[in-house]
Amino acid sequence: MARLSADEKIQPHWWLKTLAGTVLGLTLAYAIVAIFAWYGPGGINAPVKVQFNMWLITPIWLLVLSLTYLFKTGIKAITYLGAANVALYSLFFFLRWLS
Amino acid sequence: MKIRGDILRTYQSIHTWTGIVTGLVLFIGFYAGSLSMFEEEISHWATPSSHQLPQIPADKFDELILKASSNFDKAQQDFTVNFTDNLSPLTWSETGGGRGLRLNHVMRHATLSEQGELVTQTNLTNELGDLIDTLHRTAGIAGKIGHEDVGVIILGIAAVLYFIALLSGIIFLLPTLVKTFFALRTNKGANRFWLDSHNLVGIISLPFHFIIAMTVVVFAFHDVFYGGLSLVYGDEPLFERGEKSKIEYTIDQLPLIASYLKKVDELTEGYTVESLAFSGLSSSRPSVGITISNHQAMMRNSTGDFIYMNPYNFEVSFSSVQMNDKDVYTPLVASFFSLHFGGYAGDLGRWLYFIMGLLGAFLFYSGNLLWLEKRRQKQAIQTKPNRFMACLTIGVCLGSILAVVTTLLSSKWFYLADVQVNNLYLACYYFTFFAALIYAFSRGASRSAIHILYALSIACLFIPLTTLLTRILPNSALWGSESFSSLVIELVALVFSAAFYYGALKTKHRAYHGEPNSIWALPVNKVSENISDKALSSA
Repeated sequence: MARLSADEKIQPHWWLKTLAGTVLGLTLAYAIVAIFAWYGPGGINAPVKVQFNMWLITPIWLLVLSLTYLFKTGIKAITYLGAANVALYSLFFFLRWLS
Repeated sequence: MKIRGDILRTYQSIHTWTGIVTGLVLFIGFYAGSLSMFEEEISHWATPSSHQLPQIPADKFDELILKASSNFDKAQQDFTVNFTDNLSPLTWSETGGGRGLRLNHVMRHATLSEQGELVTQTNLTNELGDLIDTLHRTAGIAGKIGHEDVGVIILGIAAVLYFIALLSGIIFLLPTLVKTFFALRTNKGANRFWLDSHNLVGIISLPFHFIIAMTVVVFAFHDVFYGGLSLVYGDEPLFERGEKSKIEYTIDQLPLIASYLKKVDELTEGYTVESLAFSGLSSSRPSVGITISNHQAMMRNSTGDFIYMNPYNFEVSFSSVQMNDKDVYTPLVASFFSLHFGGYAGDLGRWLYFIMGLLGAFLFYSGNLLWLEKRRQKQAIQTKPNRFMACLTIGVCLGSILAVVTTLLSSKWFYLADVQVNNLYLACYYFTFFAALIYAFSRGASRSAIHILYALSIACLFIPLTTLLTRILPNSALWGSESFSSLVIELVALVFSAAFYYGALKTKHRAYHGEPNSIWALPVNKVSENISDKALSSA
């Protein structure tokens, strides 16, 4: 493996990445859970499903938050996570609009 | 496996800092969690057996309820029917009941004599098990924000960092994982041994740790998460609201106790009923919480599952066990709880959780030691931050354990002295904890570690000795025959007494014969040490 030059390496950017992972990671988790809640098995009204949905948020959120530090810079973390949010929420609202 | 160097370094920093920030509170949460696996047994062990009244045959419960409710107004609203052998058949709150910690909870116990006469007595309930559970959930951090404990919120935030620490730990361990997984190198110095055992324990109990981290975050922030979910649900209600009943019930309409047992048999398979907790019996919103258990099944808690129903028409309002095949989400949700509380695999499962909890505590303790070791300077006196962290680690970790052990030890003495036990438990815990913390900072980490470990060993030893003593003392009528679970508690105390003694000896050895340029080293005492030791330490 060739040695990476300084600007090819991961930059720390602790605060920016943490902020991106915490906030955008949480909204991303909600987007995934929203799609699952409405269109996953049982639909929106299945008994006890609301509790399961609530449980789903945490593992998704924490996984995204933990892996956010893999982004090279803080700005990239915000850009990519933001884009993922926009895509998933668009899908969600599109599906809601269809039904 | 090859991973880029910059990724490894990034996650190594994350692991170090998330670990050192959360290690201490998580340590308390874990070892207290181990003890809380046997919360009921500990409360039972601490409660004088004279507090419980003798059980009655199954067909006498209706007679007992009738007699109790016609003699005591309080028993017309709320009471609990216990079927377990070592508990009173009927109990209800006199004063100080309700939710949360109930330090002044006075309960009336009722039974029937052989002649069928109502016999009752009141006792302050023993909250030792509950206090240990509170320590587990809050790490002993007092105070409330709204209706939420500050400690619970802090542990929730700590659990987020702990999740990140777990994941980062795996990432930077991956390249060397296969090579050093089972390596426990004792010949490469203490540092290497601590690192190897930290990694080994971390990897083998990884699934357990992920479960705990995730569930703790949910337990702390579920209200917030539901708040967010209500946006997702839009106009759909999150929870079905039960229709408000207008029927006013009274206790004389109450069905026979046997009919509840029959109903549970119809609804579930293989479960036995432990207790029925009736509430609001003479109102429009009556309820009965039925605790059921089945050690062959995956139960929500290590103590059992629940069914809540209307006691007059048997309409189920909530259940932690699956009621029909269509209900797929109940067992899924119950499994999250079960995996946290160790409600599966019966008593073996509880012991495994007890051990894994202690291993978890070891993980955080050894993590702190590694942090100190990594920043060690080649000089006799270590840096100020290092000394501070070492004192804090010893004071908080060992101090907290000493505080719990002292509280357990003093329990029987409090009863013999006939004082308000629950408040004194709390006072005893905090007094010992802060005394140990102050001692650690005034005497230094190395010396205080040795002394607190000795104190722990002695305190543990005195737990069974106190029990033996209560056999001889005149007041010993308080405790009748010991149950098996109580004997096990005495035995475990003995085992830990030996373990702490061994720990003290090892720590002492490290202080005088270990690496001299370390935070754990102590100057060799010229009188008690022989010449060869001096030669060793000056070499």
